[in-house]
Amino acid sequence: MGKFLRQSSVLFIVLVLAVPVLAGYRDIASNAIVNQAVVESEIENLCLTCHESAMMDEKRRKIPGEWRASWHFQNDVSCHNCHGGDPQDAALAMSPERGFVGVPKYQRVPAFCGTCHIGILKNYLASGHGRALMENGSGPNCVTCHGAHNIQKATIDIINENRCSQCHSYDRAKEMKHALSRTEQKIEDIEASITRLKAARVFTEEEDKEVFRTLAEFRTLFHVVDVSLVKDKTDDYLKRLGVIDKKLQGIFSELDSRRNFSVFLLLIFVGMAITGYLLSKTYS
Amino acid sequence: MLKAIKNWIEVRIGLDELVRDQLTEYRIPRNINLFYSLGTVAIAAFSIQVLTGIVLLVYYVPHPDHAFKSVQGIMMDVPYGWLFRQVHAVGSNLLVIVVALHMLSVFFMKSYAKPREMTWLVGFAMLLLTLTFCLSGYLLPWSQLSYWATTIVTNMPTAFPYIGDYLTEFQRGSSQVSGATLGRFFALHVMLLPALLVMLLGIHLFLIRRIGISRPPFGPGGQERVEWTQFHHESYPDGMPFYPHYIAKEVFMIMVYLSAMFFIIAFLPTLFSPADANIPADPFKTPAHIKPEWYFLAPYQMLRVIPSKFLGITLQMIAITVLFFWPFLDRKEERNILKRPVLLGGFIGALLVWIGLTIWGNF
Ligand code: HEC
Ligand code: HEC
Ligand code: HEC
Ligand code: HEC
Ligand code: HEC
Ligand code: HEM
Repeated sequence: MGKFLRQSSVLFIVLVLAVPVLAGYRDIASNAIVNQAVVESEIENLCLTCHESAMMDEKRRKIPGEWRASWHFQNDVSCHNCHGGDPQDAALAMSPERGFVGVPKYQRVPAFCGTCHIGILKNYLASGHGRALMENGSGPNCVTCHGAHNIQKATIDIINENRCSQCHSYDRAKEMKHALSRTEQKIEDIEASITRLKAARVFTEEEDKEVFRTLAEFRTLFHVVDVSLVKDKTDDYLKRLGVIDKKLQGIFSELDSRRNFSVFLLLIFVGMAITGYLLSKTYS
Repeated sequence: MLKAIKNWIEVRIGLDELVRDQLTEYRIPRNINLFYSLGTVAIAAFSIQVLTGIVLLVYYVPHPDHAFKSVQGIMMDVPYGWLFRQVHAVGSNLLVIVVALHMLSVFFMKSYAKPREMTWLVGFAMLLLTLTFCLSGYLLPWSQLSYWATTIVTNMPTAFPYIGDYLTEFQRGSSQVSGATLGRFFALHVMLLPALLVMLLGIHLFLIRRIGISRPPFGPGGQERVEWTQFHHESYPDGMPFYPHYIAKEVFMIMVYLSAMFFIIAFLPTLFSPADANIPADPFKTPAHIKPEWYFLAPYQMLRVIPSKFLGITLQMIAITVLFFWPFLDRKEERNILKRPVLLGGFIGALLVWIGLTIWGNF
C-alpha cells in the first residue's frame, strides 16, 4: 500500500509536469509576437533646432532654455502651441499658412494666452486691469505678471511690491494679497490634514470634494482686482473651510482614542500572557 | 441546583469520564515543546476570524456599488466597527504566519511520519484553504488594491494550454474582475470555505486524538521508536498531564498571538493596508505598482524572474505537489532533522529563497 502511494505520487508529479510543457509552446509563440512590436521613435521639434542655434542673437537663444525650465514644458505646451506654425516642416515652420501668429502685441497677449486659459481670460477682461488694458493699454497683461517663457506654477508671491507698484501704490495690492494668502494658508493646512488622514487610511472623499470646490471658486478671485469683493468672498471661504477643519480635527481625536483603546487591550493581553507563562512554570 | 443539572447530564453522557480522558488524565510526552501549541493557536486565530467575520457580515454589502462604502461605514460609523475590521484584517495575516509556522515545525520534527501521513495531507489542504480564504477576502473591500491584486492572481491560470482562459473566466464569472467575481468570492469566503475548513479541521483533530500526539525527536526520550505494524493509540502513561500543564502553555501562546495583533493595531495600523486599499476600485485605472499580499510575493516574484511563464508555474506546481506528498516521498527512518544535513540544508535553503524572493518582490 505504501509502495503504491509512493508510486502514484511520483506519477502525479510527472503528469503535473507534462501539462506546462505543452503550455510552453504557446508561451514561446506569443513571446515571438511581442518581440516584433515596433518602438515609436521620438518626434523632433524643428523650432528648437533653429532657435537654439547660432543663427539667433544672444537674447533670443535663451528662450528655449527658459521654456524647458517652465511649467508649460512639463505639461507638453510647446512653441507652436502658443506661436502656431509647424515644428515638422523646416521650410514652412513659420509660415502663416501653417497657423504661425508670430509675437503678440502688448494688448493682444491676453487673447493669445486666453485660447487655453479661457476662464481666466474672462475674469481678467472684466477686471480693472483688463479694462484698463483694452481701453488705453495702461493695465498689466499676462506676461507682466507671469512672464512669457519661464512660466512657473502660480504662487501668491507674484503679488509683490516690486511688480505691483510700477503703475500705482502698493497699498490696495497688499490688502488683496493679505486676504488671498490667509485663505490660501488655510487651504494648505487642510490639505496637509487630509494627506495625514489618508496616510492613516481614512477615506476623505467628501472633504476632498468640498475643498476642491472651494479652491475652484477661490481661484476665480486671482484676476479680479476688486479689493472689497475679494475680502467678502475670502471671509466666506474661510468660514466654509473652518467647518471642514473641525470635522477633520474630530477624526484626528477619534484616531487617537482608537489607539489608546488598542494599547489598553494590548496591555491586558500582555498581562494575561505573563500570567499564563508564570502559571505554566508553577506546574513544571 | 447546578449540581443537579451536572448530574443530570453526567448520567446521560458521562461527562466526568470525558473530562478525565480528554483533559486531566490525557497525557502528552514530557519532552513536548512550545511548537506543539501552534496548532491550537491556529484554532484560536481561526475562531477569532469567524467571530469578527460575522460582525462584519452584518454591515458589509457584497455589491460593486456598495461594497467600498459599506466598509467605510464599518470603519467610521459602526460603533467599534474599526476594531472588528482591524482584528479581522490583521488576524488574516497573522493566521497565515501561524499556520505556516505550524507546518514548518511539523516538518522540522517529522511529525508527519507514519502513521500521521493523513494528518499532514488534511493539514496541507487546510493551508491551501487558508490561502484561498485570504485571496477571496482580499477582493471584498472592492478597493483598487483588491481589484487589481485579484486581477493578477486570477490571471495566472492563463499559463495553462487550452483550458487556461476558461479557468480564468470560471474564477471571475466574466472576462474581467467584476460584480460577478465579487459574488463568487463572497459566497466562497463566508459560506463554502468556512464549511470546508471546519470539516477538515474536524478530521485533523480526530486523527490527532485517535493516533495520539507524536513524540518530539529532541530531548530526553526523543529517540525512542515503536515499530508501527498494527494500529494502537500512541499514549504516554508517564507523560505530563495535558490539563493544566500544557493548557497553560497554550493559553500563554494564544495571549502572545493577541498581544502581537494589538501591537500592530495600536502602533502599525496601516501595516497591511497600502494606499491603494483606500481608493475605490476603478476597472479603468491601473495603479502604478500592483503587488499581491506579502505571502504571495515569493511565488509572484518567482514568476516575474523566470523568463518563461510556463517554467515558473511548473516549478511551483512541482513544489506544491512534492510538499503535499512529502510523507510518502521521505523514506529515511531518522526522525531528527539535525542528523540529516542534506534535508536540513534544503529546508533552510528553501526558507532563505522564500524570504529573499519576498524581499525582492517588494521593490
Ligand atoms: C529654419 C530655422 C527656423 C525654424 C525651423 C523656426 N524658426 Fe522661428 N525664427 C527663425 C529666425 C532666423 C528668426 C528671426 C527672424 C527675424 O528676426 O525676423 C525666427 C523668429 C521667430 C519668432 C519671432 C518672430 C518676430 O516677429 O520677431 C518667433 C515667435 C518664432 N521664430 C517662432 C518659431 C516657432 C514657433 C517655430 C516652430 C514652429 C520656429 N520659429 C521655427 C528661424 C527658425
Ligand atoms: C506659453 C506660450 C509661449 C510658448 C510655449 C512659447 N512662447 Fe515665445 N512668446 C510668447 C509670448 C507671449 C511672447 C511675447 C513676449 C512679450 O510680449 O514680451 C513670445 C515671444 C517670443 C519671441 C520673440 C522674443 C522677442 O524678444 O522678440 C520668440 C523668438 C519666441 N517667443 C520664440 C519661442 C520659442 C522658440 C518657443 C519654444 C521654445 C516659444 N517661443 C514658446 C509665448 C510663448
Ligand atoms: C496651448 C495652450 C496654452 C497656452 C496658449 C497657454 N497656456 Fe498656460 N498652461 C497650459 C497648460 C496645459 C498648463 C498646465 C495645466 C495647469 O497647471 O493647469 C498651463 C499652466 C499655466 C500656468 C500655471 C498654472 C498653475 O496651476 O499654477 C500659468 C501661470 C500659465 N499657464 C500662464 C500662461 C500664460 C501667461 C500664457 C500666455 C503667455 C499661457 N499660459 C498660454 C496651456 C496653455
Ligand atoms: C496683475 C497680475 C496678473 C495678471 C495681469 C495676470 N495674472 Fe495670472 N495670476 C496672478 C496671481 C497673483 C495669481 C495667483 C497666484 C496664487 O495665489 O496662487 C495668478 C494665477 C494664475 C494662474 C493659475 C491659477 C489658476 O486659476 O489656475 C494662471 C493659469 C494664470 N494666472 C494665467 C493668467 C493669464 C492667462 C493671464 C492673462 C489673461 C493672467 N494670468 C494675468 C497674477 C496675474
Ligand atoms: C502695468 C501697470 C500695472 C501693474 C504692473 C499693476 N497694476 Fe494694478 N492697476 C493698474 C491700473 C491702470 C489700474 C486702474 C484700473 C481702474 O481704474 O480700475 C489698476 C488697479 C488695481 C487695483 C484696483 C485698485 C482699487 O482701488 O481697487 C488693484 C487691487 C490692483 N491694481 C492690484 C495690482 C496688483 C496686485 C498688481 C501686481 C501683481 C498690480 N496691480 C500691478 C495697472 C497696473
Ligand atoms: C487551519 C490550519 C490548521 C489548524 C487549525 C491545525 C491544528 C492542529 C492542531 C490543534 C494540532 C495538534 C497540536 C499540534 O501539534 O500543534 C495539529 C497537529 C498536526 N498538524 Fe495541524 N493544523 C492546521 C494546519 C496544518 C498544516 C498546514 C499541516 C501540514 C501540512 C498540518 C499538519 C499537522 C500534523 C502532521 C499534526 C500532527 C502533529 C503531531 O501529532 O505531533 N496542520 N494541527
